[in-house]
Formats: sequence, C-alpha cells, structure tokens
Amino acid sequence: MLGRAPTREERRIAWALWALAFIALFLTERSVGFVRDEGIYFAASESYASWWKLLFQAPGRALTDAGIVRAFDVNHEHPALMKQLYGWSYLLFHQGLGWLRPATALRLPALAMGALVPALTFLLGSALHGRAAGLFAALAFLLVPRHSFNAELAAFDMPVAAMWLLVVYAFWRAMEDHRWGVWCGVAFGLAIATKHNALFLPFVLLPFALWRAWKESEATPAAREGVWRFVALFAAVALLYGLLFVALGPSGFQKRFLWLSPHVLLFVGLAVGALWLLRELYRASEPTARALIPVAAMAAFGPVIFYLHWPYLWHHPVDRVAWYLSFHATHEHYAWFYLGELLRAPPFPLTYVVVKTALTVPTSLFVPMVLGWLTVVGRALLSLPARTREWVSRPSTTEALVAVNAVASILIISHPRVPHFGGVKHWLPSMPFLAILAGMAVTRGCAALVERLRAHRPTLPFAAVAAPVFALLMAPALIGLVRVMPYGTAFYSELAGGLPGAASLGMQRQFWSSHVTSVLPWINQHAKPGARVYLHEVTGYSFQDYQQNGMLRADLRLVWSPFEADIVAYQYHQEFREHEFNTWQAFGTRTPVTGLYLDETPQIVVYQRP
Amino acid sequence: MLVLVALLCLLFYARLPGRLPTEADYRAVSERIQAELRPGDAVLLFPWWTERARLYLPPEVPVYGYFGSNRDDLMAHPRIWVLGQPRLPRADEAAFLEAFLPGRAATGEPLQAGNLTLTRYANGRYRPHRFVASREYARARVYLESQDGSKRPCPFDGKAHRCPGPPHLYVAPEWHEIQYEPRYCLWMHPPGGAERLVAEFDGVPGGMGLRLEGGLTSEVTFSRPHLSNVHLGVDDAKSGERLLDVVVPQGVPGVQKAERQLPPGEPRTVKIWTRADSPDLRHLCLDVFALGAPGEGS
Repeated sequence: MLGRAPTREERRIAWALWALAFIALFLTERSVGFVRDEGIYFAASESYASWWKLLFQAPGRALTDAGIVRAFDVNHEHPALMKQLYGWSYLLFHQGLGWLRPATALRLPALAMGALVPALTFLLGSALHGRAAGLFAALAFLLVPRHSFNAELAAFDMPVAAMWLLVVYAFWRAMEDHRWGVWCGVAFGLAIATKHNALFLPFVLLPFALWRAWKESEATPAAREGVWRFVALFAAVALLYGLLFVALGPSGFQKRFLWLSPHVLLFVGLAVGALWLLRELYRASEPTARALIPVAAMAAFGPVIFYLHWPYLWHHPVDRVAWYLSFHATHEHYAWFYLGELLRAPPFPLTYVVVKTALTVPTSLFVPMVLGWLTVVGRALLSLPARTREWVSRPSTTEALVAVNAVASILIISHPRVPHFGGVKHWLPSMPFLAILAGMAVTRGCAALVERLRAHRPTLPFAAVAAPVFALLMAPALIGLVRVMPYGTAFYSELAGGLPGAASLGMQRQFWSSHVTSVLPWINQHAKPGARVYLHEVTGYSFQDYQQNGMLRADLRLVWSPFEADIVAYQYHQEFREHEFNTWQAFGTRTPVTGLYLDETPQIVVYQRP
Repeated sequence: MLVLVALLCLLFYARLPGRLPTEADYRAVSERIQAELRPGDAVLLFPWWTERARLYLPPEVPVYGYFGSNRDDLMAHPRIWVLGQPRLPRADEAAFLEAFLPGRAATGEPLQAGNLTLTRYANGRYRPHRFVASREYARARVYLESQDGSKRPCPFDGKAHRCPGPPHLYVAPEWHEIQYEPRYCLWMHPPGGAERLVAEFDGVPGGMGLRLEGGLTSEVTFSRPHLSNVHLGVDDAKSGERLLDVVVPQGVPGVQKAERQLPPGEPRTVKIWTRADSPDLRHLCLDVFALGAPGEGS
C-alpha cells in the first residue's frame, strides 16, 4: 500500500535499529581518524557555537552582519545545519557537561543522523516488501564498510543520505496522509540545509507527484482541472522568473533580488497561489491534493528554511546563495586513481560510479542490490508490451519510487563533468534504496525456497530459512568490516580481490588522511621531545585536534615538508608519490621505520630522520 | 545463486590470510639477499605495490616497486632479485612475467619463504654505465648562458651549483617522481626565455651510447596547460655539435629519452643544457649516461 503508516511493531523495530546503530557507531567512533574535511568542520562548528553564545550574551552585536560573518565565514561553502548541531553538541557534551572528548561531542549529531538511515530504511523496506526485507535492507546498509565509516564522521555525506531518505519517506507517506506532505516540505528544507545534493530531490519526486495526481484525478474532472491549474501556476512562475532573468541578465537578476522585488513577489504568489489551489483541490479530490501537497510544501518551505537556518544569509541572502551555488557548480577536481589511470579532469569515465560501487560494496550485498533493481526494471519493461504484460506484475508506485531513488544519485554523479573524487560518499543517498531492493530480492528468494521446502515440511517457518540466508549473505560484509575498520576508505570488495586486488587493479588506495591514526602511537612513543612532525595530507586543524583529543603528544610540532621534519608519515596516494621521494631526499634513506599496511597494501609509510 | 555468491565471498576471506606473508617470511628473504648480495644488485617487487618489503630488506639494495616497474629495463643492474607475492588476489604473475622476462633468465635456486618467492635473474637488459651525470655533478662547471654566448657562473657550494636568480635555479642530484617512478636525477630547472642552464662535464667516453633522459616531476606536467615545453639537450663543448636533444612537452607525462652512438675516440667534454620559454614551474629532472651495449659485462 502506498504511504501506509508503520505498525506499532515496525516502529519499535525502527527505534531498536536506530539505537543499535547509534550505539555501534558511538562505541567505534573513537578509533576513526579525523578526515581532512572534519578539521575545518570542527573549527566551523565551534565558531558557529560561539556565535550562539554571543547571541544570548550580546544579541545586538551578534545579529549585525559583521558579527555573523566573523563566526560564519569559516566554511561558508556548505550550509550550516549540521555544523550548528555539531557545535551545540560540543557546547553541551564537552564544554558544559564534560562527558565527552571534543571530537566525540562534535560527531554525536552525525552518529544520530547516520543511525537514522537503517531505521528509515527498515520502515520503507518493511512497508514495501515486509519486515524481513526491511530488516535485511537496514542491516545490509550499515554493514557496508564505507557506509559505516562515513557514518562516524562529522561531515555531511551520511547526514544528507539520511535526509534524502527522510524526504522520500515523507513524500511517500504524504500519498496517504496530507500532514506528511507538509513534513515533506520541512524535511526538504532541512535536507538542502544539510548538503547541496538534496537540491536534486524535487526533480526526482516531481514526476511521481504529477503521475499520482494525474491518476487520482482521472475520474473527477474538477480534480483534473485543479491539477492543470496547479501545474500552470508553477509553470507561469517559472516562466516569469525566466523572463526576469533574460530581461535583467544574470547580474541584474541577482542585484535586484531585494525584499521588495518582483522576485520575492513571485515566490509569495507561488506559495499563496499553491495553498489556495490545493484547498480547492482537496475539496474536489483528496487523493489528488495529497499527491501535490509535497510539491507545494517543498517549493514554499525549502527556500524559507534554507534561509532561516543559516545566519550567514540573513543580511545578504541572494549574493551569498549565488556564491554558494556557483562554488559547487564549478568545484575543482582532485586527482583520483581509477583502474590504473590518474583521473585529473573531466570528462571522467561514464561507468566510474557503477564500477566503483561494484568494487566497494561487499559482493554478497551488491549482487542482491543489482538483482533487486533489475527485477523491478525488468518487470516495468515487460509490463509495457501487451505480449509480455501477463508474465509479470507491474511494479507498484512505491517500488518505482525506490528503484528511481536507487539510481538517482548514481546517475547524477556519473555525469562525466561532475567531480569524481571522494570514493563513494557522493552517491550515498542511493544506497539505502539499493539496500531495500536487495532486501526484496533476498526475501523473494527465501520465500521461493520456503515454498519448495514446505512440500516436505509444511510447518517450516519463514524465519528458519531467512535467518541463515541473511546471516550467510551478511557474514562476508561483517568480516570485511571488522578487517578494515577504522580505515574505511581503503575497503574493497571480494569482487575487487579485496585491498590487494584493488591495488593491483590500480584503484585509489585511500583518501582523506584519517588512516594516520594507525601510526600516531608509534610517533608518540619514538619521537624525541619537541620533534618536528610532517603528517602528509593531515591538515593543521586535524593536527591540533589529534593533540587536543589526546591522540598525539602535545610537545610535537607541526611542519609542512619533509625537509623541515624529524618524522614523516606519508599517505600513499598515486598523485603524491613526489612527497615520499622528497622524504628520501631529505632523510637520505629509502627505508621506512614503520607504517600501516592493510593486507599488504601500503597506506601510511613512516620515515624517521637518521 | 545468492547463497553461492555468499559462500564464495566467505571462501575469499577464509583464504586471504593464508595468502599474505609474515614478518618471518620477509626476514628469511632479507637474509638470503644479504648473504648473496653483490654490488649492482637490485630488488624488483611483484606486484609493484608490495612496498612493505622496504621495512625488511637491506637498506643498501635499491628496491624498485612503482606503477609500471614491471616494464623497467633496470639498465643499471646486472642482477635482479624478484621478490614476488604471486598468491595475492589479482597478482597476475603471467602478465608480470610477460613484461619482465624478455632478455632475462633466472639463475640460482629460487627461495620460497611462506607466500614470498625470491628469484634471482641475470638482467640481459643491463648496460654498463661508464658515465652518469648525476654521479659526476660535483665536478661539473655550471652556468647560465645567454643567446650571445655570455655566461653567468653558478658556483658550487658543496651540495649544489647555485645560480644567480630565484632559489630553484641550481643543479644537484635529487630524488624526484616522474610519472610515478622514483628517479635520482639532476635538478635543472631552466631559467626561462632564451637563456640556457648549462652543466659542462669532462671525460665522457667515446664509443658508447650517449643517452639523455628527462621529464617534469610530479604533477607539474598537468598543472598549467599554458606553460611552455621544455627543451633539453647535450652539445659537444668543443665543436658545438648538437649530440642529443629532446622536448618535454607540457601535459605529456613521463620520461623523454634520446640516445645516439658516440664514435670511438678520446673522452670529450659535453654541455648538458635546458631551456624553456616560460620560467614558471618547469620542474625538470634529467640525467645523461654513457652506456655500454646491452648485456655487455653482465
């Protein structure tokens, strides 16, 4: 059923999954090093938190643009929602209560968000194909080592995956309950306040909303007319914005986007007009209106929540949003090793995302994901021609919604001009949906097996087959996870041949610098007092964070090149080989003293000045 | 089918630890190399990335393991020890041997230490190195040479020949990366414009193959497409004859090479030079060799 509410038992399981995931992440977080981005996000979070303190102490000063910029200028490349949560958590759990070390306090909201993914995945999966499918999906998602790793970080990739899932879940629930339509708009606002990936959500959901509205209004001419009016309103506003843009030019459009301007008037007109139309539509056909409420809510609440959540925008919303969008539209490309080729600039291989996913998701989970997706697509295709229609059951709207979301982020990042660095994190929002499809495929298989076995043992319970099959499919992922953690960016699947196989295939060995934690104990033990340490790829922020969190001796001094250093920890990257050879030059030796070698693959190589 | 996939995955993890070497394996290999090491020997890693071996191998032996090292001629080494891990997933020993074996033959008893294999090869691609510029750099005469022939000397400070101008204008041997390969070569950043950076070397023997190899280091090749090509060459100092020259084009990675046979005769003085229109980021590293014939003296 489309959009059904969870049962009490489903709710309990979802909460249990959230708690289980949160506890697992919380207990393992300490071992995960600080990735490069976290350094700046930690600093930004603390800076934003200091602004909130100022707001209570001296609101007049805090609310000026200068006061806001002083605190929010750092890392204004990304919206502030998660960083504000990190900052508040830091204020409360570290500074206030003193319960947690700084890094754990900062990461706590990210862990909570990461834990939301299995819970929501279960709810959607359970509604789609039963509890077993939902449970498999939830556990399968978190057992992917790169997912678990990303869920530990005070970054935005896992939170936006959670938000994407939340928006889709709210959208789906809205088909049966109009209140969820409003929540969908709120969730969308929070999603775009998390990371820019979410800006693509309306393009994914709009076709479903329109299709649903079209189908629901089939028998009611007044409702069909209402749908047309609704579409016409949005089209007219889009057209008028287009005309304004053409008439004023890009800079004129931006400059004249003031509080009292046609731009704002159009937005208000859209919101009020949509509300009025939906009220009319609700009277004519409730299901039709329910299909369109999320669209209106996203259009109205999205921009408002985005603006309100980010004090940096309060005095100069248009210019700063324009800069933000332009930054991401023209993001630089980082070198990235892929199948023996160092990718530096577009066009990137079209198959990159699919291949990378195949090589980084444990194979026993990846195969059911692909099977599940192909099954839905195959059924959809076979249900089109009259000749084959009878062979299959046409995918439900929910199945289609899941299947489309399973590939939406993958397709966006697959575009050859989109930056391709960052492992799998940029298409994480696709993965819960692929996990749901995997759950469907596996439980279908189990059901077929149970049916056969029941010919001999009619009382055989489904769980007697599903439990061992689930365990069997998840066991390799669990083993892979245990073997590789906390060095998640190094994980490669059985299909790749594990880490050694991936190294021979010429895949990126690791990235983001967090594996350096493996050699910090050695450095603490062997560095002379006040030694100069060059931690290659580790930012100055992270160096300080390691010291503040008691992971690196406080007397050690940060330097920026092997030539100034007593100890060098080189991070193996194909594009950074020169840094290791500079160390040979500076130290007069090619023999390292220690390192991190995961299944033989060099990840961190440490040299000490003789 | 899914169950079969899962079983295969479990089998993979069950077998993986048994395919990895232990510290004792590395120590056994190291002891063997130490015991039989001769000057000029080198170790080649297979697969190329198995650099954990560096922790254990004798520090005096050069260890080669970089993306592409399977195809390296290792011309400076008459004997090569191949330290292999053929049981690693996707190691593909056949592909390695196809690239490595031509011109080489295994000698002596191979050693199997756990999952490590150690095989000694006579390197048929070896060429005696009678002159290596990066080794002789201390006795070179280095200067900046204008188009009209006037010279500005780059005095030797005991480590490098430092030229007037920006700090990167000097000549000294250094470790650098050219297309993933570690090379110990002469840093000779061209000064820019028509001026050349010149290093003059005496005593380059005749009757040998004179070989020039050079390239831009690290990621510099790719960073600025508008930058100019780099020209480098070797001239006979006495006659002014151009003996060798190559162009290192902007955006083309790797080592550019040129070689010619020098006529037999007295050792000669050569001028190794570099030039580029742009003075920016021309991080050039090169070397010049006088080489015997392949296989000679192996």
